[in-house]
Amino acid sequence: MPEHSAPERTLPLKSHLRQGRYGAMLPQGPGVRLGVRHPLSIVTIIARKEKEPAVSAALEAHYGLAAPNPRRMTLGQGLALLWCGDQQYYAIAEGRGEGGLHAELKERLQGLASLSDQSHGRVVIAVSGPKARALLAKGSAIDFHRREFPVNSSAPTQMAHIGVHVSATSEDGFELSLFRAFSEHFWEWLTEQASEFGYEVI
Amino acid sequence: MSGYRLERGGLINREKRLGFTFDGKPYQGLEGDTLASALMANGVRLMARSFKYHRPRGVLTAGSAEPNALVELREGGRREANTRMTMIELYEGLVAKSQNRWPSLYFDVSAINQLASPILVAGFYYKTFMWPKAFWEKLYEPVIRRAAGLGQATYERDPDRYEKSYAHCDVLVIGGGPTGLMAAATAARSGSRVLLADEGAMFGGSLLGETEEIDATSGVEWAQEVTAELASLPEVTLLPRTTVFGWYDDNVFGAVERVADHKLMPGPYEPRQRYWRIHAKRAILAAGAEERPLVFGGNDRPGVMLASAVRSYVNRHAAAPGRTGVVFTNNDSGYRTARDLRAKGVRIAAIFDSRKEASAPDAAGVEVMTGAVITHVAGSLGVTSVSFNRGRGEEQIDCDFVAMSGGFNPNVHLACHRGQSPIWNDALQAFVPPETGSPLVAAGAAGGSMLLSECLKEGALAGAQAANDTGFHCKALAVPLTRDDRYAIAPLWWVKESRSKAFVDFQNDVTAKDIPLTAQEGYRHVELAKRYTTLGMATDGGRTSNINGAGILAGATGRSMAEVGTTTYRPYFTPVSFGAFAGPFAAKHFQPVRRTPVHEWAEEQGAVFVETGLWMRSSWFPRPGETDWLESVTREVKATRESAGICDVSTLGKIDIQGADAAELLNRVYCNGWNTLEVGKARYGLMLREDGIVFDDGTTSRLSEDHFFMTTTTANAARVMSHLEFCHQALWPDLDVQYVSVTEQWAQMAVAGPNARRCLQKITDAELNDRTFPYMAAREVTVLGHVPARLFRISFSGEHAYELSVPADYGNLVARALMHAGAEFNITPYGVEALSVMRIEKGHVAGSELNGTTTAADLGLGRMMSTKKDYVGRMMAQRPGLTRPDREVVVGIRPANKTDRLYSGAHILTKGDAPSLENDQGYVSSVAFSPMLDMWIGLALCKRGRERHGETVQLFDGLRDMHIEAELCEPVHFDKENKRLHA
Repeated sequence: MPEHSAPERTLPLKSHLRQGRYGAMLPQGPGVRLGVRHPLSIVTIIARKEKEPAVSAALEAHYGLAAPNPRRMTLGQGLALLWCGDQQYYAIAEGRGEGGLHAELKERLQGLASLSDQSHGRVVIAVSGPKARALLAKGSAIDFHRREFPVNSSAPTQMAHIGVHVSATSEDGFELSLFRAFSEHFWEWLTEQASEFGYEVI
Repeated sequence: MSGYRLERGGLINREKRLGFTFDGKPYQGLEGDTLASALMANGVRLMARSFKYHRPRGVLTAGSAEPNALVELREGGRREANTRMTMIELYEGLVAKSQNRWPSLYFDVSAINQLASPILVAGFYYKTFMWPKAFWEKLYEPVIRRAAGLGQATYERDPDRYEKSYAHCDVLVIGGGPTGLMAAATAARSGSRVLLADEGAMFGGSLLGETEEIDATSGVEWAQEVTAELASLPEVTLLPRTTVFGWYDDNVFGAVERVADHKLMPGPYEPRQRYWRIHAKRAILAAGAEERPLVFGGNDRPGVMLASAVRSYVNRHAAAPGRTGVVFTNNDSGYRTARDLRAKGVRIAAIFDSRKEASAPDAAGVEVMTGAVITHVAGSLGVTSVSFNRGRGEEQIDCDFVAMSGGFNPNVHLACHRGQSPIWNDALQAFVPPETGSPLVAAGAAGGSMLLSECLKEGALAGAQAANDTGFHCKALAVPLTRDDRYAIAPLWWVKESRSKAFVDFQNDVTAKDIPLTAQEGYRHVELAKRYTTLGMATDGGRTSNINGAGILAGATGRSMAEVGTTTYRPYFTPVSFGAFAGPFAAKHFQPVRRTPVHEWAEEQGAVFVETGLWMRSSWFPRPGETDWLESVTREVKATRESAGICDVSTLGKIDIQGADAAELLNRVYCNGWNTLEVGKARYGLMLREDGIVFDDGTTSRLSEDHFFMTTTTANAARVMSHLEFCHQALWPDLDVQYVSVTEQWAQMAVAGPNARRCLQKITDAELNDRTFPYMAAREVTVLGHVPARLFRISFSGEHAYELSVPADYGNLVARALMHAGAEFNITPYGVEALSVMRIEKGHVAGSELNGTTTAADLGLGRMMSTKKDYVGRMMAQRPGLTRPDREVVVGIRPANKTDRLYSGAHILTKGDAPSLENDQGYVSSVAFSPMLDMWIGLALCKRGRERHGETVQLFDGLRDMHIEAELCEPVHFDKENKRLHA
């Protein structure tokens, strides 16, 4: 099926996402910026028994990136790989169309890995700014200090009783990936916690 | 001196006057005051009434250990009981009220309790339990509860926000006094990540209340300089107004930050308090030491205060506790109080030193009486004179305050929170922290070093060691110089010749005499003595009383202090509010909410939602004119069974299972077989727990040879996932199988009814007929031209039905399209209520029957248990108790009189039997009003139920006091031949 012809995907958080500045209006500007990455393609890759090296080699060959070590992610040609458990990764890409990434990986990792499309199942919230770490510390037990959780770190955690996968995408930038059904509740918690720093929805 | 405010000095801003009220009376204080110091400067000495005897009380301390001066702070929803005046920073508009008094603080009727004090001794409360029995509920309990008490909590909702946060550091420094500042600065200069917490608003600790000099500058200025340096370092976090209240496993500390307690109300985006969970690689306990009161007659009178507190009020707040004072001490530090007060122009009439041979520290010209003790304090609402004895019989001296020092207790609490006991030190006459290993090290006064020079040196050493331990390098230590003092003490636990009540525990009104009495009654162990007397059990945690109590107990039982020991130290060091524990997770944020991908569509259709676990599920869809849920549900059932209905079933757990051994995993976790399932087909599966009881059920489909799609019940979704993980990882790690939850990826809708196929055909490209898509078919299809979907011909309603899964972002779109396509068939949204009615009509078991007590056979599913393979629960399911013929099994039930209503929970009795446990035959598990049969029907779990179809039984509902007759029948109430599945 041609990818471009699938109907437009609706964003689960759309009723909550209103661009603008909220919370404390501080002279130095908003402490955090919040946005949602959508639409995204997200596929769970789980290596089949004893196929981990072959999976790694295939990913290297096709995307020029190695399978990430625990608590890390790797970025390659139009694809990010996030470690999310023993021999498990999230593959994340933009612009692949409905089911596109899943189909692509299925072909390239045939017999090596089990793949499950999660593109619609997870919502990815981008958090950045000078107070991003202080905001995340209100929810997660992870130590987000630059030394401990440098750029390209990626790990599952819990925030506000909700399972969240956190990745450090830049010096002051993070992405939070969580089950879509929790996204509105999580957004309400996140923005309430961000209000003392002032936040901007972009 | 104007009033009691000294003319000069103090860390107060004389330009900034702050108005406040206490018990409705207006006062003025200064910026930098606490409520206690402001009242003191206004000459107010009576601040509270005691817990049991309602004795007049004033302030005892200048810090967080305060047992006496407790008030209700603020009003309305912000009212907080038992707040310590010594910890309340004054702000404009502060409102405080004294507590536990009636009708007023000055005249409290219950003070008459003092006359009854001979019977209100230790253990009184427990003795009231014993005899006479009838007195307890009617007399003692109401009267004691009313008379003995503290402040009242508010019944209104707290309007403020509370937060939680995690923190991580290389070095946590607990306490920002000289030791803590020195430790933090030393560690921070090496580049390590330092977190410094202090319970006060300003860093400096004891330096703020003393006249120390460090490196030829004042201690206060030194503290300010170090604080400024720390604040400028990027890796340092300063947490003032933060109490570290507990030490937990893995060097985790709990702390509460009073972000806005010092304001009338928090700022617009500010929490009142923040609860911290601190993960520290190393921690330094620099919590200082707490001065002990002396135990003598009238030591609780307003105006009798700790000597260090008197110094602090005079030096820090420029507030004098009175015009003329006396000092009563058993150690050298009392002399410092006399010196400081003399220097500030407050008269000290005498120093009573209980030591026979005092080491003769500088008394600044004040008369020193050695070997002297105070035996009585006169003045009930405030000290007027003291009686003392220096070996020449009782003498008297006029004064209006008493500064007492019984020595110092290092604040060992945190070091003991993980089970270790503190160690007695004879030279100090105090307990010092146990050796807790390098993760937590005590330094300075908290470790038993009472001199400033020692504190600074130990702080620097501890800071350097902690930084080095965490991978940093400390260069040469710079320990500043101080003029040194000296400290010596001789024990004095109780002035036995006191001729009036001598208090040990001020907050719980425990007197010295209570303790020998307790020992005499057999409670000689310090833990038992604590419970019997209530010593140390008040909100102050006994910080001013526990060790004095142990000292008196040691004397009464002829043991040493080391033998008596202390009671167990547990968190919390000081009280923590419930708001801080709850954090932001209150009211609608108490637990997360999950919304399905077709929630928006359901809202458009007017759904009434119900919380199912965390999920919001559509319960029913009222239409205009419908007044009752049953009316809506009945319409939904009829419309579905007559033509077509649509229901959101997205909440079912969905697990993608792949791999060469995927079928084998299913074979082992389900009790029925899976090898024979064809690709493109679904099958109903039943899982047992290891103990043979039914765990969960659902349909699982084979999408390709090595790819299955499992569904679970909504309630057990996470549990089944964990079960698979456990089974694979722990039991059969050799299986080549991978599984992941895809619950959130799919929006899933049930489309049911004779016209279901016609509705679906209009939106899908696949040809749907009994040949291409027979019962239990499961295939990938395309809907609306381009949306990838999975279609399953499965039925919970008993109708010709399908479940359609589409990627979640398309959920609302596809649901709307189905409504549009089904309009000509009057397609009707139905909720979980109608779903439940239809499954009861069909006799399908659900959560009420899969309730953790039933076996597959009990549910009528015994034949699903394969005899050809092994599976989880197989062996245990064969236990005699689980295969007994008289077990309660699923039956249908209907009222004998068609108009009677059934209620679930009603018990089944054989006709003629009286209700009793012995006669109980089972109970009704699920009920529904059946629109198809036009009567109430149900499912029940009944002993030998399958043999009893047709029997008339009694139903007894004790809650509603209902007795009706009902008939047991087969569970399938409607369409017994299952013709409609294939209609």
